[in-house]
Amino acid sequence: MVHDKTIGGRLFDGAVYVILFLVALVTILPFLHIIAGSLTTVDELAQKRFVLFPTKISWDAYTYIFSTNTIFRSMLVSIGVTGFGTLFSMILTSLMAYGLSRRDLVGRKQLMFMIVFTMLFSGGMIPTFIVVKSLGMIDSYAALIVPTAINAFNLIILRSFFQNLPDGLEESAKIDGCTDWGILFRIVIPLSMPAIATISLFYAVTYWNTYLPAILYIDSAEKWPIQVLLRQIVILASGLTADSSGFSGDFVTPPDQTIKMAVIVVATVPVLLVYPFLQKYFDKGALLGSVKG
Amino acid sequence: MKKHDLRRRIMKNKAIYLMILPGLLYFVLFKYFPMWGLVISFQEYRPYDGILGSDWVGFKHYQRLFTEPMFWTIFRNTIILFLMNLIFFFPVPIILAILLNEVRLQAFKRFVQTIVYIPHFMSWVIIVSISFVMVTMDGGMINEGLDAMGMQKINFLLSDEWFRPMYIVQVIWREAGWGTIVYLAAIAAIDPQLYEASRMDGANRFRQIWHITLPSIRSVIVILLILKIGDVLELGFEHVYLLLNAMNRNVAEIFDTYVYTAGLKQGQFSYSTAVGFFKSFVGLVLVMSANWLAKKFGEEGVY
Amino acid sequence: MRKKQAATTFRVLCTTTLAGCILAGCASGSGVNEGSATSGTNQGGAPTSETQAPFKLTIMTNLHTPEVPTDAIEKMLEEKTNTDLTINWVPDGSYEEKLNSSFATGSLPQAVYMKNQTTYILFRDAIRNNQFWEIGPFIKDYPNLSKLDELVVKNTAVDGKTYAIYQERPLSRQGIIFRKDWADKLGLAAPKTTDELYNMLKQFKEGDPDGNGKADTMGLTDRSDLVYGAFKTVASYFGTPNNWGLADGKLQPEFMFPQYKETMDFFKKLYDEGLINKDFPVTSKEDQQNLVITGKAGMYIGSMADVQSLHQKTVEINPNALYDVANHISGPDGNAGIWSIPGYGNLVLFPKSSVKSEEELKSILAFFDKLMEPELANLVKWGVPDKHYTIVEGGLVQKAEDTKMTDREQKPYEILQVGGESTIDMLRAYNKLPAKAKAEELIIENNSMLINDPTAALDSKTFGLKGVELQQIINDATYRYILGNLDAAGFDGEIERWKKGGGESIIAEYNESLAKSQ
Repeated sequence: MVHDKTIGGRLFDGAVYVILFLVALVTILPFLHIIAGSLTTVDELAQKRFVLFPTKISWDAYTYIFSTNTIFRSMLVSIGVTGFGTLFSMILTSLMAYGLSRRDLVGRKQLMFMIVFTMLFSGGMIPTFIVVKSLGMIDSYAALIVPTAINAFNLIILRSFFQNLPDGLEESAKIDGCTDWGILFRIVIPLSMPAIATISLFYAVTYWNTYLPAILYIDSAEKWPIQVLLRQIVILASGLTADSSGFSGDFVTPPDQTIKMAVIVVATVPVLLVYPFLQKYFDKGALLGSVKG
Repeated sequence: MKKHDLRRRIMKNKAIYLMILPGLLYFVLFKYFPMWGLVISFQEYRPYDGILGSDWVGFKHYQRLFTEPMFWTIFRNTIILFLMNLIFFFPVPIILAILLNEVRLQAFKRFVQTIVYIPHFMSWVIIVSISFVMVTMDGGMINEGLDAMGMQKINFLLSDEWFRPMYIVQVIWREAGWGTIVYLAAIAAIDPQLYEASRMDGANRFRQIWHITLPSIRSVIVILLILKIGDVLELGFEHVYLLLNAMNRNVAEIFDTYVYTAGLKQGQFSYSTAVGFFKSFVGLVLVMSANWLAKKFGEEGVY
Repeated sequence: MRKKQAATTFRVLCTTTLAGCILAGCASGSGVNEGSATSGTNQGGAPTSETQAPFKLTIMTNLHTPEVPTDAIEKMLEEKTNTDLTINWVPDGSYEEKLNSSFATGSLPQAVYMKNQTTYILFRDAIRNNQFWEIGPFIKDYPNLSKLDELVVKNTAVDGKTYAIYQERPLSRQGIIFRKDWADKLGLAAPKTTDELYNMLKQFKEGDPDGNGKADTMGLTDRSDLVYGAFKTVASYFGTPNNWGLADGKLQPEFMFPQYKETMDFFKKLYDEGLINKDFPVTSKEDQQNLVITGKAGMYIGSMADVQSLHQKTVEINPNALYDVANHISGPDGNAGIWSIPGYGNLVLFPKSSVKSEEELKSILAFFDKLMEPELANLVKWGVPDKHYTIVEGGLVQKAEDTKMTDREQKPYEILQVGGESTIDMLRAYNKLPAKAKAEELIIENNSMLINDPTAALDSKTFGLKGVELQQIINDATYRYILGNLDAAGFDGEIERWKKGGGESIIAEYNESLAKSQ
């Protein structure tokens, strides 16, 4: 974009920067507290309650977490499930979304309604469990991926992006002798990279956060994703299971708060690293010279 | 339309049907098969008897729900929170995305984007416990500050006036940045030549936003709005449950929290399913109305 | 693998097995463990010869530590019991979901821990309907299982029949933990009456017990829990019944007794005078303990055994801090009492969907019988000698200092224990910390003044259906009364709401059940 050098334009720019800076600050403070909390000593955290700059850096929480390979293993599981899951989901979703974006498709409206319907009505945990069990997926990684392979929300969004592509693309491609598959992979997907990146990110985050399926379908602890470990530590450290479980005192010593914070940091950082790689797709004019040329 | 015409159109799109097939299979298998589970809301379901073995009780569970003394309170609370979500939360990501789009310093833009997207990864347990530290009467920062300024301490946690503002502030804090992503993707798809042309016409930045950016992302906004309206009775169980207490129950009890206490905690699958079915039904009616309205205004709609 | 899956998918789609399965409730075998029971186990259970193939056993239990333990202790258990053991650990916070979905789909393994009494009660209906093995008739054939306390077994019974093996819990750990150094500075002795208790709290607030010249301390720290927090324990001091009590020979809920109101008034006074943390109705256990650890509050009412961890965390901040414990506090009527739990915590059940024959059940019971032998009981409770603990004076157990190591290797296995100290001749803990040693003595002393719940072995259908949501009405009303949001008349109005909502049926049913049992 060319610079806008009018007074109004500069004021506008200034205001945008100030607002966004404040928004970022308000957003980052609690997270800074978590990072600081994971690097401070247990007693400092207990006394101050809200730490932003630890007086004394202590790596105890991290050495504790990394002293066994449990966290590495569950990280690997999560990375694997996220990678394969996202790929699998994207293939199914983009095929279906493209198909349903075609305006000349017979039964398109009915199919879309059917999909929206599943967003509102679900049979619940137990019938789904029975399906997963009948397919022989219990205690396999497939159970963490296949039952959540397509998210109706993501499908609808992606389809909407596909529909917003300029009309006439398909026609001209057809005239050039492209098949439907060719149109999808050579034209539609390359032109929809921002949307593809977005939906991939949505899927990746969902897989990264997967928790309940792991609890329900996975029996072997070595196949647990990171979230299981994370939630267990957070819940124990917050004393949420409290005495209701009939334990107390000497029976359960909750893990230190610093450990809770450190696990949150460790479990969040990988997802944060993914985002900057996708940001180039959100730049303006990422599709410059798209179709008209 | 003539029959053979229809057939021809179907045959022409054979490849397209093939593309849809795997997804369709998925929906049938994992979404439509399990819908058998919904019939238990008309039964006295016992897990060990299965659906075939449980007794039918007709609308008993629905009657219980609608005659529940708390029903209208819960309904009102749910609707109010939903409207607050719609009015105070829904526009925030759109505004944020547009502001981000106006930033020319790429580094700054990416920095802010990355930061605002972080909170989405904090679980509600963590967010609520951090809030507690900030607003508690017993040495919370905000109250200490009020005290230092010689003002009255405010009991944020144990009051029915403060529950809704607290809820919505936390929702905005956690989800606003995350919500911008879809809009940013939509903005990225806008042809830059449009902006060029309008600048030639001497349009200022506000007018560009109003005449180019917003219309270009309108269809995405409409779709998200329709889907959001369908979630009218889904407000994030965990979040509300963590904020709920004796002093704010009259404004904070919603369907999800009610079902948790009245149904799931006591293993009453049938009753929980009935409440769920009712929620889904309300959602469906609203989605259909919203979709119809959208189409009336010449938008695509979701189906 | 993929081929097999594709084949299964195809089969499922082509036949109606799936729908049939959902409709029929899928009471088929779990598929988890097809290992048939070896018939070599006879009455009493020990395998007849060493060469016999190990018996396959899968157990599902809850995990109350951050990580799944290493399998060293599991291997030792397998060796000593000639079992091929699989333990499915399930995180504590999601245990109910796993239990419910596994049960409804017939996927429970052979031995299932119930986590606690609350979950167990949910399964009463299923137990009645023959979904789990009744073990009562077999128990007498096992030398150790037959030693289980009859009273506790009766508390676990459903319609008078025994289905579960229980894990022992002290009947009452409740008491008071307070800052002894504060009390000494103010010249206060441990409280013996509710008035002295109030006085101590007042002094803790007003007497500058930490000597910093600022009025920045409070008396009691409490949390959002009317049962395991301070409320129920103080209610016992005032002589309130435990959940239900007898008035004119009829059972009535605790909140209809005047003592319950006295307790509420006591708390209201604490609240109005700022002797208790202002936000206690929404405070988590973590934040509650934090107030006492950081020296803002001087008293904690709950499990006296908590003194150990409170002490450890407090001395890191303030090395001069000192705690003491107290119980036996009498109310206005001069009596001291303390509420009790039914004597069990966790329990084990044996689903019929996975345990196919009486033979197999007997082999499983044999395993649990062995788990009650002193050697194995010590192994699950304390771990490996000279690694997780050492024996000190008087043959007591000194646990290893490195709690992070024990958390990972031994602690999760404690959950497997069946029975406990009063039924097994096992090792006991040596407590280095005097306050902890005293707490353990007082926990035993509590047994002399227990207030029992008369409905522990009784049954009420309406309670099973609506008990939790009705209790919510009373809990809310209690908090609102304490915070001054509701007056006495208003509280009575809430009791009426409770009655109308189904409370009356609960009263009638419990009284009926009581009449039947006498």
